[in-house]
Amino acid sequence: MNDTPQPAELHTTPAPPPIWSRVSVIWLVPLIALAVTLGVAWKSYSDRGVLIEIDFADATGIRPGETALKFREVEVGTVEAVSFSPDLTSVRVGVRVDKTIAPFIDDEAKFWLVRPEVSAQGISRLDTVLSGTFIEGFWDAAPTEQTYQFTGLDRAPVSPDPTKGTWVELRAEDAGGLAEGAPVIFRGITVGRLQNLRLSPAGGVLVDAFIDAPHDKRLSSQTRFWDTSGFSVSLGAGGVSLDVRSLASLVQGGVEFETFSTGGSTVQNGRPFRLFASVEAARNSIFGNDLVDPVRFTLLFDDAIEGIARGTKVHFRGVEAGEVTDISVRMQADSVGNQFARQQVVIALAPARLGLDESTEAEVVTEFLSGEVENGLRARIAGIGLLGTTRIIDLTDVPDQPEARVNPDLEPFPSIPTAPPAANELAASAEDVFERVQALPIEELMASAIRAMDSISVVAEDEKTRAVPGELAGLLEELRTLVDGLNAEGAAQKTISALDRVTSAADSVLTEIEGLGEMLASTDQAAQTFAELPMGEIGEKIDGILGDLRSMLGSEDAERLPRALSDTLEESAALLAELRAGGAAEKLNGTLDATQDAARAVGDATERLPELSRKLETLVSRAEGLVAAYGDRSAFNNEILTTIRELRRATSSFGSLARMIERNPRAFILGR
Amino acid sequence: MNVLTARAAGLIGCTRCGRVWPGEASHCGRCGAPLAPVSALSLQRVWAWWFAGLIAYVPANMLPMLRTATLGHEQANTILGGVIELVAHHNYGVAAIVFIASIMIPVAKFIAIGYLALIVAHEKFAGSHRHLHLYEVVEFIGRWSMIDVFVVAILSALVQLGFVASIHPGPAAASFALSVAFTMLSAQNFDPRLIWLAPLGTDKA
Repeated sequence: MNDTPQPAELHTTPAPPPIWSRVSVIWLVPLIALAVTLGVAWKSYSDRGVLIEIDFADATGIRPGETALKFREVEVGTVEAVSFSPDLTSVRVGVRVDKTIAPFIDDEAKFWLVRPEVSAQGISRLDTVLSGTFIEGFWDAAPTEQTYQFTGLDRAPVSPDPTKGTWVELRAEDAGGLAEGAPVIFRGITVGRLQNLRLSPAGGVLVDAFIDAPHDKRLSSQTRFWDTSGFSVSLGAGGVSLDVRSLASLVQGGVEFETFSTGGSTVQNGRPFRLFASVEAARNSIFGNDLVDPVRFTLLFDDAIEGIARGTKVHFRGVEAGEVTDISVRMQADSVGNQFARQQVVIALAPARLGLDESTEAEVVTEFLSGEVENGLRARIAGIGLLGTTRIIDLTDVPDQPEARVNPDLEPFPSIPTAPPAANELAASAEDVFERVQALPIEELMASAIRAMDSISVVAEDEKTRAVPGELAGLLEELRTLVDGLNAEGAAQKTISALDRVTSAADSVLTEIEGLGEMLASTDQAAQTFAELPMGEIGEKIDGILGDLRSMLGSEDAERLPRALSDTLEESAALLAELRAGGAAEKLNGTLDATQDAARAVGDATERLPELSRKLETLVSRAEGLVAAYGDRSAFNNEILTTIRELRRATSSFGSLARMIERNPRAFILGR
Repeated sequence: MNVLTARAAGLIGCTRCGRVWPGEASHCGRCGAPLAPVSALSLQRVWAWWFAGLIAYVPANMLPMLRTATLGHEQANTILGGVIELVAHHNYGVAAIVFIASIMIPVAKFIAIGYLALIVAHEKFAGSHRHLHLYEVVEFIGRWSMIDVFVVAILSALVQLGFVASIHPGPAAASFALSVAFTMLSAQNFDPRLIWLAPLGTDKA
């Protein structure tokens, strides 16, 4: 009983410790580490931006992992890789852009490299010297379809944000001195920049002008732009004037604009404007701004087109309607195959000046001109101006021309048939005037004038003329001798006393002889006259004669003068000789002595005295007549003076003519 | 090799000071350190820290260690990138130090700890003195891996010249420090008594 059965020994294995006691808690550490690492990795992967690729011509200063992409100067991405485009012509820069900004980068986006730049306007982006080149981008806030492939700009746009101004397209014949980034000036203030200078496919040059807000309000459709590149020197009445708008425009050129007329409409982005060469051209151009691309035509001339140049006016029936824009030579082959050259002139026409609407299409203008050509309209070279030296192209009706048509298919522009140049009537008459002037016997006139002068000098140099003063001196001497002789003999007193005696004798005789008193009275009168003989006056008068003669000789008398003088002098000399030969004084004395003796001798004496006094009077009157004849107001003198005056006037006229020719020979020829 | 282990003798050794105590003792009577029997769990801790260190080591090598900004140019270098750059600048000595301290030693530590943790389970390798030496070397050299972290820390503190030159630690510095710390913990959790215990659990009964 006490043999209690023992339970069979159980084969037990202890329960394995629960899993949580067999696995250490420390395993959480690597799990957390793994989770954190994976979390960080995933986050950085999911936060990773969008990769875009930008093609640049070169990648100066771009370093992968460092170079930033900036938008409004805020970093929005980093360059990840720099590789090449498949054809190796450009550098492909891979940029990782922030996810938040990437949706806005659409095909409107622009990218350019920002580097330090030294230009005529100064140094810009100096900060990039230290920070390094970066890529600047600009895009608008409207997300559209995202793009991943871009082409970078060669240079920074003048103003990336188009909302901060207005850009217009300027069209010029040539770029002149313009350069990229050149200023746009309004009344001396820089209000914008030029960008994107390029060649136009239609010929000429295109350039975009960006005018910053708020200055873009100054633009209107009537605004005119002109080139202010470089400087201008003008020489005028006020001296030399040098005009330089700004130093920058001297180096890179510049464009100025002004609205000369009112009534324009506001300007939209991209509106085309014509760029005039100068402010005058801008002011005076008949082409409105609406007509940036005027209708052009080709004219082919067989003749020389001398005087036609770019800018030459084109007249349509006498009204200025356009200008020449290009001149070249066009080779053509005739039916046989011979090459010949024709002058090709391209003209631009303003439809408004043809009587059409301003914005008429080119085709319509061509059609209109076709009709006109059928009615006889031709293009020809004509001269305007006084001498016809200013050349224009005249579109006018030319009669009797072979039939011709407008060729609308001619390259580069439709052609208008031409006519031979017009003869200029005004020019022809001017030519006639010149011919007449040329035909004038100027040289003969000069020759006869020289001959006249020669004769005058011959007269002046004549021996006889020179002898005149000597003869006159001799005459005076003789006169003086005579007067002295008379004085010395006491003729006057003696005569008076003789006469007194005669009177007393006569008184006695009177009582005896009837009628003797009458004779005595006349004798008394004669004696009185003699006593009053003005010897001094005679001398003075002779002096006056000499003075007159001298002045007359000074004025170079005619040939006649010496002869007349000589005659007079000879007569005077003869008279004096007669007086002397007659022994007047002695005879008087004898007579008077005889009178004292005999009354009969008184009759002789009284008979001769009047004769003497008459002769003296004759002499004086002759001398006076002579003096009168050659005096100041004599007809002869007047004639001489008139002649000389006329000669002088003629000479001065020739002188002024010569001076005029010398001063401005061109004017003499051209008449202006 | 017939070796009587302390475990077989019912004794327990202090891992801190080496004094052997009876198996029941819970604390070392000499140094006061807790006494724990050899446990396979300790090997788990080794592996856990080892994996954590390995995970941290990946970003430590992929992310930039040092961000150098000189006159606006910022440059970020990983550990290996820095070594290559130093070589390129012919600083072979410095390059060798960085390479050994930051790449060779951590990698060697991973290999060594992993190797030790793997082989202790095998009876064949039990009681190898070489393994003990290897463990001691690993534990000694482990702290030198921090040399790179110290360099970064010191440079970041010293070179702060504003725009001219400034150095900032990159995210790899923290990862690397963590990785080193984890491997050190891993090495510390390795119970060298396991070397003599192998194969684990075979003599337990």
